[in-house]
Amino acid sequence: MNCSLDLIEAYMDEELDPGPSGSVEDHLLSCQACSEAYLRFRTQKANIRAAAPYYTASAQLERSVRNASRQATANEPKPVASSPPWRWLAIAATVLLAVSVSWNMRPSPRRTVENDLVAENILSDHIRSLIGTHLLDVPSSNQHTVKPWFNGKLDFSPDVKDFTSQGFPLIGGRLDYLMDRPVAALVYGRRQHVINVFTWPADPTPMAESRYSRNGYNAIHWSNGSMTFWAVSDIALTELAQFKGLYEK
Amino acid sequence: MKNSVTSAESRQRLFEELMLPHLNAAYNLARWLTRNEDDAQDAVQEAYLRAFRFFDGYRGGDGKSWLLEIVRNTCFTFHRREKRNVMSVVFDEASHTPAVSPPNAEEALVKASKRSIMQNCIEGLPDAFREVLVMRELEEMSYQQIADVAGLPVGTVMSRLSRARKRLEECAKGRDMESDK
Repeated sequence: MNCSLDLIEAYMDEELDPGPSGSVEDHLLSCQACSEAYLRFRTQKANIRAAAPYYTASAQLERSVRNASRQATANEPKPVASSPPWRWLAIAATVLLAVSVSWNMRPSPRRTVENDLVAENILSDHIRSLIGTHLLDVPSSNQHTVKPWFNGKLDFSPDVKDFTSQGFPLIGGRLDYLMDRPVAALVYGRRQHVINVFTWPADPTPMAESRYSRNGYNAIHWSNGSMTFWAVSDIALTELAQFKGLYEK
Repeated sequence: MKNSVTSAESRQRLFEELMLPHLNAAYNLARWLTRNEDDAQDAVQEAYLRAFRFFDGYRGGDGKSWLLEIVRNTCFTFHRREKRNVMSVVFDEASHTPAVSPPNAEEALVKASKRSIMQNCIEGLPDAFREVLVMRELEEMSYQQIADVAGLPVGTVMSRLSRARKRLEECAKGRDMESDK
């Protein structure tokens, strides 16, 4: 290998694949000029990090940024004449109440009392995730970031897939608690809607899907023999079924 | 039951959830690009407003790069506007060094002077070099992410980064010698 400062910098920036990275290492061991250049680069990097300030946003800036987007939302034209912010909370509270009273029963061969109970919990959880401040623990569209994040937090490793190209981008994940156990919640987007997928290990018997609808929210439940899945959102049931189809591939 | 109130609200919630975690990165980049606090604050506010307006066009992916691209463009628009107003700032040594020495003696003083040498040298780099250096060394972004934000080929990012480092080395060496006198 010839001396190449570009390669040495790329090596230092950890931008090289293992192969080229190895040959740079070999070269550094045998070439004094390059190893000196490498050390100079390293020192400079360390100096920059130690001496150049990393500026952080003030609490006031954070407040005004938040306010600005809220203001912009409030000023958006709406078909409803006036909608003060509390109205959405009132609606959500009504939904929660309605859900806690009863989950709409539609006959389906796979429905069981137990699943209806899970469905109730899932829907409440979905709504809570949207009105609370805790939608994401790990905001990332990268499945290779989201999946390892669950390591050590769960006694299983959830299957994380991204469907950005099909219009259901992965947004992130969070740890959730359902039916007395910790579960993985994977969050996907669909236009401006949010889909929560709850998953945990299931009985080894594969199960056909069952569908639930209530107050404009839809849920699909299925199981693949090792894991059970619940997808819930306010998108149309047909779209949710399409999403489930992608998930099963 | 479902109407545009809920979708506007959830859109805004999603925006905050996805974009507010990058507020420090946005401010840090803006602060280095505009080189002063007030402009940086204005630029970040403006950038977040723009981002919110363009949010429908965000199709998932790397949220930090998506936001920083808007921050960067906002800063450069501000910059051009300022230049037109002939507001060229004369480099003022006094305003770039702390007015009051920290109470804790020599070590703090050396540290502060090292800090201001580095800060001055980075601030002295041309925009094109400064932005790639800040994104690489302070934001620890990959070449590809930097390329996305700055709208450049990866090769150009590499060569600019390399030239930025060279200039910075020369500058820091020069300043260091001055302060040793």
